[in-house]
Amino acid sequence: MTRITTSCAELDKILGGGISCKEVTEIGGVPGIGKTQLGIQLAVNVQIPCYYGGLGGKAIYIDTEGSFMVERVLQIAEACTEDMAEYGRFLGKSIQARQVEMGPKDFLENIYYFRVCSYTEQIGLENYLDKFISEHRDVKIIVIDSVAFQFRQDFDDLAQRTRVLSAMALKLMKLAKKFSLAVVLLNQVTTKVIEGSFQLALALGDSWSHSCTNRLILYWNGDERYAYIDKSPSLRSASAPYSVTSRGIRNSSSNS
Amino acid sequence: MTPENLLRRPQPVEKLTLGCPVMDRCLAGGIPCESITEIVAESGSGKTQLCLQLALLAQLPPSLGGLSASSIYLHSEFPFPTRRLHQLAAQFHAHHLQDLIATGRDQRYDPMDGILVQSVHTADQLLDIMTQTESFLQNSQTQFPVRLIVIDSIAALFRSEFDNTSIDLMKRSSLFFKISGKLKSLASRFRLAVVVTNQVVDYVGDGMNGLKIGNLEELYSSGRRVCPALGLAWSNCVNSRLFLSREEDEKANNCSVERSEEDGGFGSRTTRRWLHLVFAPHLAPSSCEFVIRREGISGVDR
Repeated sequence: MTRITTSCAELDKILGGGISCKEVTEIGGVPGIGKTQLGIQLAVNVQIPCYYGGLGGKAIYIDTEGSFMVERVLQIAEACTEDMAEYGRFLGKSIQARQVEMGPKDFLENIYYFRVCSYTEQIGLENYLDKFISEHRDVKIIVIDSVAFQFRQDFDDLAQRTRVLSAMALKLMKLAKKFSLAVVLLNQVTTKVIEGSFQLALALGDSWSHSCTNRLILYWNGDERYAYIDKSPSLRSASAPYSVTSRGIRNSSSNS
Repeated sequence: MTPENLLRRPQPVEKLTLGCPVMDRCLAGGIPCESITEIVAESGSGKTQLCLQLALLAQLPPSLGGLSASSIYLHSEFPFPTRRLHQLAAQFHAHHLQDLIATGRDQRYDPMDGILVQSVHTADQLLDIMTQTESFLQNSQTQFPVRLIVIDSIAALFRSEFDNTSIDLMKRSSLFFKISGKLKSLASRFRLAVVVTNQVVDYVGDGMNGLKIGNLEELYSSGRRVCPALGLAWSNCVNSRLFLSREEDEKANNCSVERSEEDGGFGSRTTRRWLHLVFAPHLAPSSCEFVIRREGISGVDR
C-alpha cells in the first residue's frame, strides 16, 4: 500500500512507512502538540516527486480553524526541497534537464486550500469533493484541520450531530478508497468523565471514534513529543518520539 | 456560499506590530490577521496596556507595521482605563502625527476616534455584539475600516454565570466554540486581527489543571504556578497563545525606576516582565522581556 512519509523516521517506522493512502487516519492531540504542523508536512510530502521516492501528488487542505499560515508552509516546503536535493546528491543522482526542480511556491500552489467557517460549509464541501477530485486526479491527500472545531458548537439535537458525523465519515472513507488517497482528519482533545474522574478523549464523541480506520494520538511526555498508534487494522500499538522544528516535523533531537 | 467559492488562493497574512522590534521579532512580525491571538496573564501584568497599544498601532500605515485601521475594543472588566488610554493616545499622537497625516488623516486627527469602545457583560451579549459587528463591517464605507477586534477579557464573561456541574460546563464549552467560530469567521471574511485576553487561575494540583498545553511545561507568575482560565475547551478555540508573566526582582539592580501606570495604579521598582509564546501555528517557542513605561510597552534586548 502506498504511504506518505511524515519526515520523521521513527514515526514512519511505527506507521509501516507513513500515512496510508486508501484509508482514513485521525490524528488527535492538545493545542500546540503539532497537529497542524503534521498536516502541513503531509500536504507537502505528498508532492515529493516519484524519482525521489514520493507520490508526486497534490493535496487538498480544508482549514476550519484558520491555522494554515502561508509563511509556515513555505518554510516547510523550502526545507523539503533542500532535503530532496541532499537526497539526490547522496544517491549520486544527477537531475536531468527535463526534471524541473520544485521550489517552495510550487509546493504551495499544489495545495488546494479551502477555508470553511461553519459546519454547513464543511458538509457542503465534503459532498463536493467527489466532483472536485474527479476533475483533479493528482490529489493524493485530503487534510481536514480540524474536523471537530465547527461541530463543537451547540447542536440542538446531539443525535442529529452523530448522524451527520457518521455520514461524513462514511463519505470520506469512500473517497479514500475510490481515489486511492489518504484522508487525514485532525481532531481536538476534550475531557471526559470516566468513572468519576476526568480523562482525556478525542472530541466528537464515542460514535465518531468508531468511524475512523486509523487513529494516532499526539502527546507530551515531559518535554518530548510522542505519537501513539491508538487504532489500526494492521499496525501494532507503538509510540515514537518526534519533534517540530523550523524545517517541519523531524526526528526527535535526542535520537538523531 | 457554494463549495467552489470556498477554494482560496492562500496569501501571507498581514501582521500588526506590537510597537517594538524586540517584541515583533518574538512573533515574526507581530499579531497576525485572520486568526485569534490570546493574551493570558494575571491582573497587573500589562495585558490591557498591550491591547490599548495595539488599538493605537493599528492606525499606523502598513509601512510602519500598522493596518491603517480602526479598532473595536470590547471590555468586560471595569473600570475601563480611560485615563491610561488618553495618556497613550497623546503619546502616540505626538510621536506619529506626520506618519498619520501622510496616510490621509486630517491635521485635527484624534487617535481616540479610531477606537470604538464598548462594554460587554455576558457571553450572550458578546454574541449579539458580533452579529451587529458583522453588519457594521459589511456596510462600512470608511477610509480606515476596522481591522482589529479586542476582547478584554473573555474570562470575565464566564465568571459568575456557570456552576461546576457537567451540564453547565458543557453549555459553557459550546459557547466558547460558538464565540470563537463567529470571531474566526469575521476574522477570515474581513481580514481582522482578533486579540482576546484571558486571566489565570492557580494551579491546584489536580490532573486536568496540570495538563501541558503548548511549549511551556509550567506557567509561573508572581512566584506561583498558574494556568490559563477557562480550561482545555477554550484552549482549542484560539490559534495562538501568549503568556505575560511578572516577577518581583528582590535584588537591587540597575533597572531604571519604572513608573508603571497600570490599571491598579501602583508602581513597582523592580518588577520584571516577560512575554512568552505558548503556542502558535507559525512560530517557534520564544520569550522576551519587556517593560511598561509612560509611552507604553516595549521589549528589552538583554
